[in-house]
Amino acid sequence: MKQTEAERAGMALKSGAERALRAERAPGFGWWLRRRSAVGYAFVAPALAFLLVFAFLPFVFTIYVSLHEWNMLTPVTSMPFRGLENYRYLLLDDPLFRQTFANTVTFAVGNVALSTLLGLIVALVLNSRVRLRTFWRAIYFLPYVTSSVAIAIVWANIYNANYGLLNGILETLGLPPQRFLASVSQAMPSVIAVAVWHSVGYFMILFLAGLQNIPGELYDAAKVDGAGDWQRFRFITLPLLKPTMLFVVVVNTLISLQVFDLVFILTNGGPVNATNTLVLYMYRTAFEFTRMGRATAMAILLFLITFAITLVQLHLLRERR
Amino acid sequence: MSARTSMIGSRLLAERMPRRSFLKAAAVLGGAAMTGTLATGCRRQTAAPTKLVVLTHWGAQPQKDVLEPIFKKYQEENPRVQIEHQTVEFGELLNRITTGRLGGVAPDIYHFYNLWLPEFVASDLLQVPPDNVINEVRQGYSESTVKGVTYRDQIWGFPTEVNSYLLLSNRQLLQEAGVKEPPATWDELLEVAPKLTKKDASGKATQTGFAFSRGWDSGVVHPFTCLLWSNGGEYVAEDYSKVRFNEPPGVETLELELELIRSGGADLGFAGPGSSGAQDDFLAGRVGMVIMANWYGASLRAGLPGGIENVIVSPVPHSAKGTSTTLQYNWLWGVDKNSMNAKAAWEFLTWLNTPKDGGSSPMGDYLTTGLNAIPARLSDQEAHADLLGDAFVKPFVESLRSSRTEPIIPGAQEIKTSLQKQIEAAWFGEKSAQEALDTAAAEANRILAEKAKP
Repeated sequence: MKQTEAERAGMALKSGAERALRAERAPGFGWWLRRRSAVGYAFVAPALAFLLVFAFLPFVFTIYVSLHEWNMLTPVTSMPFRGLENYRYLLLDDPLFRQTFANTVTFAVGNVALSTLLGLIVALVLNSRVRLRTFWRAIYFLPYVTSSVAIAIVWANIYNANYGLLNGILETLGLPPQRFLASVSQAMPSVIAVAVWHSVGYFMILFLAGLQNIPGELYDAAKVDGAGDWQRFRFITLPLLKPTMLFVVVVNTLISLQVFDLVFILTNGGPVNATNTLVLYMYRTAFEFTRMGRATAMAILLFLITFAITLVQLHLLRERR
Repeated sequence: MSARTSMIGSRLLAERMPRRSFLKAAAVLGGAAMTGTLATGCRRQTAAPTKLVVLTHWGAQPQKDVLEPIFKKYQEENPRVQIEHQTVEFGELLNRITTGRLGGVAPDIYHFYNLWLPEFVASDLLQVPPDNVINEVRQGYSESTVKGVTYRDQIWGFPTEVNSYLLLSNRQLLQEAGVKEPPATWDELLEVAPKLTKKDASGKATQTGFAFSRGWDSGVVHPFTCLLWSNGGEYVAEDYSKVRFNEPPGVETLELELELIRSGGADLGFAGPGSSGAQDDFLAGRVGMVIMANWYGASLRAGLPGGIENVIVSPVPHSAKGTSTTLQYNWLWGVDKNSMNAKAAWEFLTWLNTPKDGGSSPMGDYLTTGLNAIPARLSDQEAHADLLGDAFVKPFVESLRSSRTEPIIPGAQEIKTSLQKQIEAAWFGEKSAQEALDTAAAEANRILAEKAKP
């Protein structure tokens, strides 16, 4: 097909314009960076520098140390290289690592399930027209703003097998006394109960915010269509709370997998390692046994576990489009 | 001189100088001024005091009130030495030492637990003391104390406080149970402990005959080791190649503890968690007997119903085949290997630990009055015989003659924690005595082998 003069002239004009544009861009990437992004980079530079120094470099250093043996007393430059030995030991030869991992997962599952469920229930109740609604919200939120160390000390006394308040109440009700923190089987549920009591108020607040974002018209329309309470909850509240639920579950899981202070004060990991968690074991390995290589390997493994669990949660709970 | 200088100055100002002469004069005067300033600076530098940074875990105000005037006195006697006293909690002391080393801000002088010696020595953290210090330690301290600050045949510093374990009994609770004397043997312990236990209608123990300290490695392992040695057993082989606490005497020792629990003589609900559980209960008068160290005396004096006189201190019960033996552990002063002021540091430590006027050393004064502890130096023990002679402290001082030092082995802290967990597993019925000790021994031997590697 032959081109007309006008088409040829048009094409020549177009290619000329492109050449001119290319000529204008001739200085290349550096020019582009200066022209288009220099100001943007300047704005994000402080935050990037902060991340680099306080997050990225320590992370890289953690990986580096996990491949070595180091007690923090010898210079960094002279730590012996051990390759993957620390990881091999933890995964294959260290029963305590497996036990603390199992304890951590037990704690996380119990804490996430109960505090999420209770947080939602309390939020639903306090989102309805109950008397002294603000007062009750404050009461439920109060434990969350209390120091976890103080909470642990108080609960250790409440749980005391011989003169604790809880056994006193059980006795009054005619029930047999329990060992609570002095029992291998009851210690972990007792710790989970305190953690749930501590955090339920925070998740209640998050769920309340989510509930108040749901338009009232949807419920009105459902009512008109004859939907009952359960159906309105099942088909309106729950689907629209999904983003909040996702946030609560992910954040709660991250917090639970890193539990330290509550266990440290309440049980110190006992009895017989029944409540020993990964972070507590990591702390001991690093600062009591001065085995930094092994402790950092634990930190990396915990990071990978947390990352994997979070990915699974995001996959399961994200909105299907 | 000054009149003459001012005359020259006036003339210079009064007579108009040519520019070149003025610049020459200014250069000469400037050079002279600079030389003078440099000379003064150098003189100041050579006259600058030596600063010694001393790290301890004695941060409580009553302790500082006694210790810091002693430091001040040394500074008055030695105006060219400045002492900076840094303190942290005991739980943070090892972290502070390691991070200080790491960050290049290590103190000159450390006060530390002798169990950390293997790690410190292996990491080249400590300086070998000068000969005069080594001779002073050999001559002025008991054999077990010298052993407590020795690692790989080398003395590493001045011993300070020494602690040992004995059986503490609540006098009133013994009397109420019709028991005249604290138990001296294992059989007597098994007989007496259940008599001191009380339970309410629901079966809940309101008072226990004997209490273990759960969740605290030293609180579990030190009493166990005392009982083990009092049964003729050994904690570790002499060459530190393997542990021996899982041999028959060790198993018998743990069986004794299990029998105390099974017979109702010891209730684990009184045992913790943490380092203060059993101690708090003894202090509250809910525990009949406990094996504890002398430092606990300060709390008993402050809070025990009936006062310290309500406590009977007696030797650790022994088995039929052993003799009562207690465990002692030490603290010591050491100097950082990289200290720029090592000579001044050892001079200061020598002054601090040397008797004055034939009496007590300043350290002895501090340990007895500021810390309520037993000074390791024998002459300090004699000089403070009045303070160390009361019914509570005297048995501890006397026990030091026959005490054995806590084994200073590589990985000692890790081994101790592992043994603690396994002993607790047996207490809670998770494992038999033999299984628990075998598990702890396997872990300990692995640690020893690992630490023995170059």
